[in-house]
Amino acid sequence: MATTELHRPGVVEKARPRTKGKPLSVGRIALYLTLTVVSLLMVAPFVWMVLTSLKTPVEIASQDAGLLPEHWEFGNYVDALKAAPFATYARNSFIIAFSHTLINVVVASMAGYALARIKFRGSEVIFYLFIAALMIPTYTKVLPEFLIVRFMPLAGGNDIFGQGGSGWLDSWWALIIPGAVTPFAVFLFRQFYLDLPVELEEAARLDGLGEFRIYARIMTPQVKPALTTVALLTFESSWNNFLWPLLVTRTDSLRVIQVGLSVFKTENGPQWHFLMAGTTLATLPMVVLFLIGQRYFVQGFATAGLK
Amino acid sequence: MGATSVLKARPARPPSPTEHTVAKKRTGRAPTGPGRRRQRAGMLMVAPALLHASLWIGLPVVASVVLAFTKYDVLTAPQFVGLDNFRDMLDDAVFRKSIVNTVIYTFFTVPFGMMLGLLVALALHTGLKARGIFRTAVFIPQVTATVAIALVWLWIYNPGNGLLNTLLSFLGIQGPAWLSSTSWAMPSVILVGIWQGIGMKMLIYLAALQSLPKELYEAASVDGASKVRQFFSITLPLLKPATFFVLITSMISAFQSFDQIYILTDGGPANSTTMMTFEIYKSAFREFRIGYASAQSLVLFVLLMGFTLVNRRIMGGTRGHN
Repeated sequence: MATTELHRPGVVEKARPRTKGKPLSVGRIALYLTLTVVSLLMVAPFVWMVLTSLKTPVEIASQDAGLLPEHWEFGNYVDALKAAPFATYARNSFIIAFSHTLINVVVASMAGYALARIKFRGSEVIFYLFIAALMIPTYTKVLPEFLIVRFMPLAGGNDIFGQGGSGWLDSWWALIIPGAVTPFAVFLFRQFYLDLPVELEEAARLDGLGEFRIYARIMTPQVKPALTTVALLTFESSWNNFLWPLLVTRTDSLRVIQVGLSVFKTENGPQWHFLMAGTTLATLPMVVLFLIGQRYFVQGFATAGLK
Repeated sequence: MGATSVLKARPARPPSPTEHTVAKKRTGRAPTGPGRRRQRAGMLMVAPALLHASLWIGLPVVASVVLAFTKYDVLTAPQFVGLDNFRDMLDDAVFRKSIVNTVIYTFFTVPFGMMLGLLVALALHTGLKARGIFRTAVFIPQVTATVAIALVWLWIYNPGNGLLNTLLSFLGIQGPAWLSSTSWAMPSVILVGIWQGIGMKMLIYLAALQSLPKELYEAASVDGASKVRQFFSITLPLLKPATFFVLITSMISAFQSFDQIYILTDGGPANSTTMMTFEIYKSAFREFRIGYASAQSLVLFVLLMGFTLVNRRIMGGTRGHN
């Protein structure tokens, strides 16, 4: 079902209300009230997070303080950045998420294009391999992935057999390369390229364009929604990733924001005002990204169903 | 679907011997000219993604199966130990507990999340104004990092000044120490799981609802079927593929919950919230028993596959969302 809807981005928005202009009935008011309560319950934790980040430690510790801060301590954010290198963490997360996005969009769109439009020996088998790869749970592959990184030959002091050093551990390579291309992106791109008209491709071929140019100049500009969807989803999941960066980094300077927050919590005890300021910083970019590219997120998630 | 497959089925005819050899000859020879160049371009374009997947997905899957039968601490070479890891698992009370916990967590978060997700989707499907705002509010936890969410809830659950106990104190109730009580920790973790997952489930149901044929409802109204009756006789059966899709994908995610456990409870108190993923992490990265952890991850994989197949059977051969 999702596959067919892929080609209509924003389908969720499109269906027009059936009962437009109907006067407000009691049932309708009840519906609004229920949805308002549900929405408040969903948003309340974030509001609480922001409110806490603006309180003084004294106020946080006080038993009879109200829910709102007495003085809005915007200075907490400045102090939090001094208490822990949250700015470095955020920068690291950004570099990784940006690299993942760039690599995934280029490599996966190329593969998706080839699998959709070019029949070559083994292309069908390769497509099914990607589908199978899509279904492998993280925890089935994460341990060997760690070992591959650890024993990467000729890296981090390792010899050709991967012995002697620490390989890619604690390096940008480990943070960027293993998660750079996702089978989901290959699958999604393939679905989009499948539906482009053959005439487009054939006209370009008659004009003497090479296969790679047909992909890059003619076909890819036609699947912009797919590019946006993959880019946004890749960036989001990369920014939010925790387990992998936790496993492969030790040094503070390479920590990503999610790991940085977790370490700050363990090492400094519950300094809630700083912790919530840091969490706000970690959350805000994704909320903004989601609000901007909502319809693409919705499409992508409806297809993937997985975070 | 049955009709099309009948139409497509062609009468079986054994290929004549000449046809066979001709076909063989044709495939045996590599295509020449532009066709060949095209094929080569295709292979080149798929190569980077294929190489990446082979190294970071294919090889790990194979390695993971092999390692499950070894004893390995990273420092010394792995040693083949046969089924020892699986035997150890049977005696590992904590791992058994983690399986039970994972199942409990999944069996509470997934159905309740699905029910709430469907209810919200139905409410939004009635064509309210400002539905976009409601949808966004419900969906935002889904795009937020689980670590960030867990940290916020850690503070909400704080027994002293957390939001939850503060609100309860307004009602004159003294709330428990949510996450450090063996009886409250699991329900607290489950609540966060439900809360975070509603958005995704709502979204898939909403997309499915919008693709249902309106004519059916019009016909049912003409026949005098009540809204409730329409829901149970039309909507629910037609939502079956979506339900299957939501069920499978939510179960796969729930089974692999890790971040919230790491932040909220560290598996405690007294292993009351430890999950299979958390035990795999502990075995591998706190005890350096890579072989044992691989065996545990194999069990997780088999359980996930098993659940998926059982679901497919129960849902009556629905092929799912895609």
